[in-house]
Amino acid sequence: MADTLFYILAAGTLACGMGVVTARMPLFSVLSLLGSLFCLSAIYLLSGFQFLAATQLLVYAGAIMVLFLFVIMLLNLGDEAELQGHLGFSLSGKKGLIAGATALSLGLVGVVGAGYSTPFVANPAYERGVDDLNALATVLFSRYALPFEAASLLLLATMIGVITLAKRQRTTDAGAHPQSAPPSTDGETAA
Amino acid sequence: MMNVPTEHILTLSALLFATGVLGFLIRRNVIIVLASIELMLNAANLTFLAASRHWSQTHLAADGVNIMQGPIFSLFVILVAAAEAAVGLALVIAFYRLKQTVALDALTELKD
Repeated sequence: MADTLFYILAAGTLACGMGVVTARMPLFSVLSLLGSLFCLSAIYLLSGFQFLAATQLLVYAGAIMVLFLFVIMLLNLGDEAELQGHLGFSLSGKKGLIAGATALSLGLVGVVGAGYSTPFVANPAYERGVDDLNALATVLFSRYALPFEAASLLLLATMIGVITLAKRQRTTDAGAHPQSAPPSTDGETAA
Repeated sequence: MMNVPTEHILTLSALLFATGVLGFLIRRNVIIVLASIELMLNAANLTFLAASRHWSQTHLAADGVNIMQGPIFSLFVILVAAAEAAVGLALVIAFYRLKQTVALDALTELKD
């Protein structure tokens, strides 16, 4: 039963992944990514990683997806057809050949690997999930305490960087690249 | 819990990563390229968790392998993905302000 569910979810993940790549509009691409993340979260749950499944839903489906949708709606990105070329694909010549060959060979490695399937013998000690929150926290706050603190620094640096990127328009952009800036002035730079 | 062999999970991961690589290489919309990067990061996450699940099996668990490494690494990957998405989307907004488009072909600042 759970095995069948895994294969259904795997098919859903891959179908949504293809949707991300082939969608015409960025909005549908991001929604398809959301479906893929939901399927992956269910797979985590089936594999016995409850905490990771919850984190996946909260951080990815909650925060990151909202950020993507927010940017799409902020920039009013509708149809992609206005990009040069049809459908916004740049599959041409050598680059497309390299892309196809890379993806195909990676996929083939996976399919060949599926031939070797050793049976999985579940450990009764982990009947209630592999990432028991107690054990996870014990390891995270002892052995991985330094990376954990470094992660907070990374988040701080990200926050400062994003704020800097978001507000740099008035001071530097107008003067730094006068020749490459688009002619449309939106009043803010002029003022 | 399911009894799917580890190899099948790794196959799913490889195919998902290949999809992400394909999207990264052939699309020219910056937002879809970022979404493809998220796909690849998720494939890496799935690999970590599959490995952790593999080493939690009865006949493998005894010899001092810490199976908590998989979930912890996945947690860090999710964290880095969040930071990457925030910076990437801020760059997209800055790019759109400069060029009024999100086509990657328009990014020729360093070439000229």
